Amino acid sequence: MKVRKNMQEILQDLKVSESVKRNIVHWHTIEEKEAQTEQMPDDLSEILKKALERRGISRLYTHQKSSYEQIMKGQSIVAVTPTASGKTLCYNLPVLQSIINDPNARALYMFPTKALAQDQKSEINELIQEAELSINSYTYDGDTPSNIRQKVRRAGHIVITNPDMLHSAILPHHTKWVSLFENLKYVVIDELHIYRGVFGSHVANVIRRLKRICTYYGSNPVFICTSATIANPLELAEGLTEKDMVLINNNGAPSGRKHFLFYNPPVVNIPLNVRRSATLETRRLAGEFLKNKIQTIVFARSRVRVEILLTYLKELVKHKLGPKSIRGYRGGYLPTERREIEKGLRSGEIYGVVSTNALELGVDIGQLQVCIMNGYPGTIASAWQQAGRAGRRHGESVVIMVASSSPLDQYVIQNPDYFFNRSPETARINPDNLIILIDHIKCAAYELPFKKGDTFGVAEIEEILEYLTEERILHQNGDKWYWMNDAFPAHNISLRSASQENVVIIDQSDVANVKVIGEMDTFSAMTLLHEEAIYLHQGIQFQVEKLDWEEKKAFVREVDVDYFTDANLAVQLSVLEEDKHRGNEETEIGFGDVSVRAMATIFKKIRFETHENIGSGPIFLPEEELHTSSAWISLNKELSEFADDRLEEGLIGTSQALKHIAPLFVMCDPSDVHVVPQVKAAHNEKPTIFFYDRYPGGIGLSEKIYSGIEEILDQTKQMVMNCQCADGCPSCIGTDTTSIHSKKDVVKILDLFIKAAV
Amino acid sequence: MSLKNKLNRLKPHIKSEIDKPKTEAVQVRDTPEIPFREVWEQENVSPYYFDGQYCLVREVIYPLDYQHGHYKFRDLLEAVSLWNNDQTKHPLSAAGHEPRDLVFFDTETTGLGGGAGNTIFLLGHASISGGSVKLKQHILPNPGEEVALYQSFLENADYTTLVTYNGKAFDWPQVKTRHTLVRDHVPKLPAFGHFDLYHAARRMWKHKIERMKLSIVEQEVLGLERKEDIPGFLAPMIYFDFLERKNPEGLLGVIKHNETDILSLLTLYTHLTFQLLGRDKAQTPRETFEVGRWFSYLGQSDKAKQKFSGLAEEGNEQEAAAKHALAFEHKRNKEWPEAVILWKESAEKGTNKQRKEACIELAKHYEHREKDLELALEYCRLAQDIREGNPTKKDMIFNADLQKRMNRISRKAFPGQAQDSPN
Repeated sequence: MKVRKNMQEILQDLKVSESVKRNIVHWHTIEEKEAQTEQMPDDLSEILKKALERRGISRLYTHQKSSYEQIMKGQSIVAVTPTASGKTLCYNLPVLQSIINDPNARALYMFPTKALAQDQKSEINELIQEAELSINSYTYDGDTPSNIRQKVRRAGHIVITNPDMLHSAILPHHTKWVSLFENLKYVVIDELHIYRGVFGSHVANVIRRLKRICTYYGSNPVFICTSATIANPLELAEGLTEKDMVLINNNGAPSGRKHFLFYNPPVVNIPLNVRRSATLETRRLAGEFLKNKIQTIVFARSRVRVEILLTYLKELVKHKLGPKSIRGYRGGYLPTERREIEKGLRSGEIYGVVSTNALELGVDIGQLQVCIMNGYPGTIASAWQQAGRAGRRHGESVVIMVASSSPLDQYVIQNPDYFFNRSPETARINPDNLIILIDHIKCAAYELPFKKGDTFGVAEIEEILEYLTEERILHQNGDKWYWMNDAFPAHNISLRSASQENVVIIDQSDVANVKVIGEMDTFSAMTLLHEEAIYLHQGIQFQVEKLDWEEKKAFVREVDVDYFTDANLAVQLSVLEEDKHRGNEETEIGFGDVSVRAMATIFKKIRFETHENIGSGPIFLPEEELHTSSAWISLNKELSEFADDRLEEGLIGTSQALKHIAPLFVMCDPSDVHVVPQVKAAHNEKPTIFFYDRYPGGIGLSEKIYSGIEEILDQTKQMVMNCQCADGCPSCIGTDTTSIHSKKDVVKILDLFIKAAV
Repeated sequence: MSLKNKLNRLKPHIKSEIDKPKTEAVQVRDTPEIPFREVWEQENVSPYYFDGQYCLVREVIYPLDYQHGHYKFRDLLEAVSLWNNDQTKHPLSAAGHEPRDLVFFDTETTGLGGGAGNTIFLLGHASISGGSVKLKQHILPNPGEEVALYQSFLENADYTTLVTYNGKAFDWPQVKTRHTLVRDHVPKLPAFGHFDLYHAARRMWKHKIERMKLSIVEQEVLGLERKEDIPGFLAPMIYFDFLERKNPEGLLGVIKHNETDILSLLTLYTHLTFQLLGRDKAQTPRETFEVGRWFSYLGQSDKAKQKFSGLAEEGNEQEAAAKHALAFEHKRNKEWPEAVILWKESAEKGTNKQRKEACIELAKHYEHREKDLELALEYCRLAQDIREGNPTKKDMIFNADLQKRMNRISRKAFPGQAQDSPN
């Protein structure tokens, strides 16, 4: 029998094997880093010092020490800490010390998920027990039994929760939490970088409500944030909490040697520049590690991709490892299932996990040796977070990024400097998005009446209060506005998703045992849960038999087929109002409000392995309408040189290319900005390309595109021209265009835009 | 784009809690002048001023001979004295109390669930005072007048024991919530006892009433029929309308509804007392049985046995159930021979559920106490043979437990032999 290879041997194989070597376009080694430490703070109590010593900690890393000093001065901070750098001590030490100094002091910890909250509770409780302190720390979430809840409210020194719970269970019931709010000394916000975009904008408003209630009860807590590496941690923390912050970024934690490989699958069709499938290459690479029982995590960009890879990998190693030793992990799995997988990874029972970005967060899954990304995760910050899953403090680890044919992937993999040297993304929030703001003003009014002259964070709200009064949701009496409605507003407002309702997925394979296996937001459901769609869950295929759109229920049954489905979304767009305008004789650039109507039209059945199209069918679902903000650019000049169909194809190709580059420059998730071309836009009858935010009311991305359109156009042109294909390929302008002029036309159109825009 | 325009444009995305025509914002008042004062006064309502605010207080007095449902209010005096003489221990016992100590209490709110934003706009209570029943309702004329409302409610508060309908879960926690918001300006909330009649009604009449709403209990049990009553769920809407129009017309209906609710609590408490203490001649056997079960639940075996024994006679519709229950009371007192006789009867004549339970008890008895393993096994088999329809989850657990028991008994009975395999 062949002896198992260890990681060094596999690495060596990768270096020498002809079929692999030439695909590795960049091999970046990050050397190990020594720890930088300082003495324990003088004012730290002996009890804590001894407890830490018993746990093998006699000195603090530099960033832990700085955090402690700032916080004990009463300064709010944001600490930037990579995975496994001991960030929890940054807040646990000052919090525990403060409670030792004043047993009435309280702290509220906020983690983005329940799983993280559980982890943290165990961690802080171990320290509390080690020090033999009588400090109560509890989690408070949907799983907390009602008989314990009262105790948490009354006697919890440290209450560990998540923003959703704060939003819908704690703040609306603040009168039951008087002892917490009267004595709230610290608010800890972990994984700060998660609070961006729509979610972040919601959470910023939840924090405004929290601060409002603290003020009412006479407390003014210090905020302690920790964040993964992003470009603007200080700005984000200050935007989210509306407090002055100090940035702590002197990370003193050690790290092991890490190999970061850029793997570009070989070109198999030179004129079309078609590369071998990234998924198949990921399967091969991951299989190599898994066969040798080396714990590996594979990240895929979509839920469908996770399930496909899971199917492949299970098949590949089914004789070597048991079927349960490779698992999937993504949103849509039920919590118990997720906990079980996390545990299996820590204990080593599970060798491989295929995940969406759900495992980017600090969920404790122990130290894995290998991380393979199936495609660029979309942002630099995300890529580093995923890479952090492999190899923690000591020992060597490998990260392999397998590029797909998408322009973004190809851009990144061919420009390693961009990835390794550029500062990672900026996290943006727009707490004053009207839709979001109004939602939270309702909740805030429910919690406490508003008074004339009140502000809500930095937002101006009097007009909104008047609007809500007209809508008969608030009642004005004297100089105060009162909640006067029989609803409980927080229940109708979800922080996580743009659309408020989720579609529940019901498995009816076993008639006697019909059960809910997951849920999905309505916008995704249009293309993933339409009737006849193949929905994958833990590698098992289900076919959607009935989608009850009114009741938001999808009924599925287990099937065994050799294809997956892919649906098209038709989008119509019209300008409602133009807020900003600039340009010259040749182009106009606009920004304003648009109405977007999206409808799922048809779906295709695509065979596994070969990816050939083996059938299609219509989708009958109502149109969904979205009012949002948008930036657009139109050409004023007559484009007589283009025939109509060539103009249309040219614009489609241009949009394709822009769609991939725009997110890089506004630094957002690619799905947050959509690009739509129109040969004759309804509002000005000119050839136009629109960029719009995919959330009602907009979250500030289009506005950023409006002001930086020149650079985006320029970089897009570079990307298209540098592409090795002859007449356009999926890596630059997409495949929806078929003409041999397409690529030239796209460059021409981009030139027209650029010339005019300057 | 102006903010207002934008708001109107985004309207479809903003969840509107209600769809109603727009109206102008309410004018700011300079002096607390009371609109529609004459109308209010006709209804015995007068203003109560405190600290620059005011609330409205309605007082009504009923004679003790007033008939409300099957009882007169005077009967409440007898109920309280029954408890004092009888000394039966029970959560609803008024022993040690005077009739006037009981405060019958109910609220009306602007929303359903608990939460800081759910405003109480009506606090009503009634109690026996002198030779009559005095009902007092504190009404919130505007959301900004809560200090006056709670001051009025609390200033002469002599509330020893509250009697409510679901007040433990809803009304009182909500009073606490809203009180917290004005706690610096008004007296503290008193501590007191609390009889929640909702749970009592559930124990007594779950068998015949599906939704234990007070109005249904009135109809089915107390002999009351409400005329022109405003359903409780409309109360918030009516109050919002009142805030805008100030005309008490609609709100008077809610006030009346609240009044009826409170008066019914007096009748309900009287009736429950008479039921529990055997004073009600018209009690059905099933009600007697439920009273027995309640005493059994409270650990008052003697009382329970007394109720069950009374029912355990030939021809009574509750005979089988009563004997079955009685067996368990004997078990609790370790009166094995009595229990076994009753179980044997139950195992033969009871419902399937009773038969199963009785067989298991007999199996336990013969296995552990009589050491008659064969007979124990026999009763297990008997239990096994009782089947009906498709097994539920509960049945499956029952069967699994039964199988375990049989395996154990077999092992004891025939050491060294192969066990029965589960079928």
